[in-house]
Amino acid sequence: MNRALGYLGQALCYTLFFLPLVYLSHEPTYRVLDDDTALLKLAVRHPGKIIGECTTTTESGQGMRPTSMAQVTEVCPRERSALQLQLILDGKTLYRDTVPASGLHSDGIASVYMQFEVPAGSHNLQLRMNDDEAIEGYPWQFEQDIELQPAQVMVANFKQGFRLQ
Amino acid sequence: MKSPLKMGMNRLDSLFSKVFTPAWNPMYQLGGLSFFYFWIVAITGVYLFIFFETSITGAHASMEYISVQQWYLGGIMRSFHRYASAAMGVCVTLHLLREFAMDRYSGVRWFSWVSGIPLLWLLFASAIGGYWLVWDIQAQYIATTTAQLFDWLPIMVDPMASNFLNEAALSDRFFSLLVFLHIGIPLALLLGMFIHIKRITGARTNPTKGLAAGTLLAMLVVSLWQPALSQAPANLDVAVTTVGLDWIFLNPYTLISSWGPGQTWAILVGLSTVLTILPWLPSKRAKQSPVAVVDPDNCNGCGWCLADCPYEAVTMKEHDFKKGHQQSVVDPNLCISCGICAGACPSSSPFRHVDELTTGISIPGFHIKELLSLTESKLAELKPDEPRILVYGCDHGSVVDSMSSPSVATVSMPCTALVPPAFIDYVLRKNLAEGVMISGCCEGDCHYRLGNEWMNQRFDKERMPVLRTRVPREKVRLRWLGEQGTAQLAHEVSTFQADLSDEIASQPRESVHE
Repeated sequence: MNRALGYLGQALCYTLFFLPLVYLSHEPTYRVLDDDTALLKLAVRHPGKIIGECTTTTESGQGMRPTSMAQVTEVCPRERSALQLQLILDGKTLYRDTVPASGLHSDGIASVYMQFEVPAGSHNLQLRMNDDEAIEGYPWQFEQDIELQPAQVMVANFKQGFRLQ
Repeated sequence: MKSPLKMGMNRLDSLFSKVFTPAWNPMYQLGGLSFFYFWIVAITGVYLFIFFETSITGAHASMEYISVQQWYLGGIMRSFHRYASAAMGVCVTLHLLREFAMDRYSGVRWFSWVSGIPLLWLLFASAIGGYWLVWDIQAQYIATTTAQLFDWLPIMVDPMASNFLNEAALSDRFFSLLVFLHIGIPLALLLGMFIHIKRITGARTNPTKGLAAGTLLAMLVVSLWQPALSQAPANLDVAVTTVGLDWIFLNPYTLISSWGPGQTWAILVGLSTVLTILPWLPSKRAKQSPVAVVDPDNCNGCGWCLADCPYEAVTMKEHDFKKGHQQSVVDPNLCISCGICAGACPSSSPFRHVDELTTGISIPGFHIKELLSLTESKLAELKPDEPRILVYGCDHGSVVDSMSSPSVATVSMPCTALVPPAFIDYVLRKNLAEGVMISGCCEGDCHYRLGNEWMNQRFDKERMPVLRTRVPREKVRLRWLGEQGTAQLAHEVSTFQADLSDEIASQPRESVHE
């Protein structure tokens, strides 16, 4: 093959290789979220109440402990309650689940993250949580009317009570 | 599936060999090109790191500075960094498909195949890390979607997504972690690439100079024409609605978004598992012949077989009974039964004064004495009406059996580098044929990696054992045309025969009778 023709062919091959590569590096665009839609995120990280009663140690019992634990006057069980969570938007339950405590002995923090695509506009948001298996119902409750802009991210989290960010 | 894929690959091979020449054919250098792109990414990455700021606001701003204010160097470096990583992804994928299509993944080749699978994950992770660092809306999409993917796994105590809840949740330390990962993962990739080529001799880790130069030039043009740029800065308080995705690497992300993380994990892990076990799945391929055997009586410890074995299956040890000498040892787990070692053995000479031809190393399925016997018997059947031609062919290259005729004898074997050059000398010197044609796989794409390269070097007297000077070169032809070049080889044989006929006709009558 003629050398010049060969180089021309090579240039064509490089073009055919890099052209789709450059195009596919940013096109076609991908639609992640519909217009007029907002994101509502529920992010809760909270330790449930300990299951069972703590017991006071006796003097004789204290004598059997290592010296470093001599000051311990109360012994508690390790297991923690799972969280019962509910997210209700405009009267419709979007999320309802039981979130177990982490750890092999269920003695860690319970964590949950969920996100919901909701239409932009006015909504009524209710959040409920029970972090103690010993009691019925939802000791933690929150209700608020919210206004969501298109593509807005609203975070509902928990820090000594529900709050919106 | 393999057959149409092989056909497609063969067509591409032929096309690129015509355009680039076989020596520059990129299809034969996909592994070397992948290494080359890796080094481009690594070198340009070091430059970008100098200017990159590891903070929430600094990350995007510093990349903008590199791309806009410093477009003449930093911008080009960034474009090289990005396009070379994408090109590496394409080359690696083609490399995998090609090795699969050409049936080069089973038997002793399982190691290279299996060790390549984790490299796909590491390459993918390296690329994702790079996109993430830019901290534009694509990075934001990657961050939140990656978090979804990992949060699906039961190993996560705290959801990863809680780090990307909103702008307030993000910390500068996150970028330090990302930089650490974006350096660490590619280093692990490099280590994996080293392991990947560990069991092969003379692995091509660089493309030929011409191909490298062409690639760099093409990348420079692309970088100036379409420089890699960031998208709008990330803002976790605003959800990403539309995003320009890099579809080369980020296509699994659309699966996460549309099918969910569980199904995406199932697809990715399932695909990796299938690829990993592929070498051991039932196949129609012929069973591998018994591995090479060393005959200590005829091994003089020269080490030529060690130098020629494409899979490092031969090592040397102290000779069993010749003091102060060495002898070859074959590792049956690495030997692929190509027979190249037999072609390299200086004992494989039909001129030796022995009752029965034997050699220092040979494959039992195609012993050197069987090759001699087959050669002699086939040549004995030829009629001298036309110049007699002997065609040595390989089982993976041009199909030579169909070329047999009353004046053309053909012998096919696992690899033509199994033929010791002394055989050609023998055939011509004993006047068993007027010409010898050696054919095989395409130049630069030997099924056993190095067979045609070694033969070329033996014929050019650059590699032992050499084809002796006394062998008239006009009576020997090497043609590396591959399976797709079978028709062309038949034509070449006819031309060879016609040329020899002309040559004989032009010689004085007495010398013809001699």
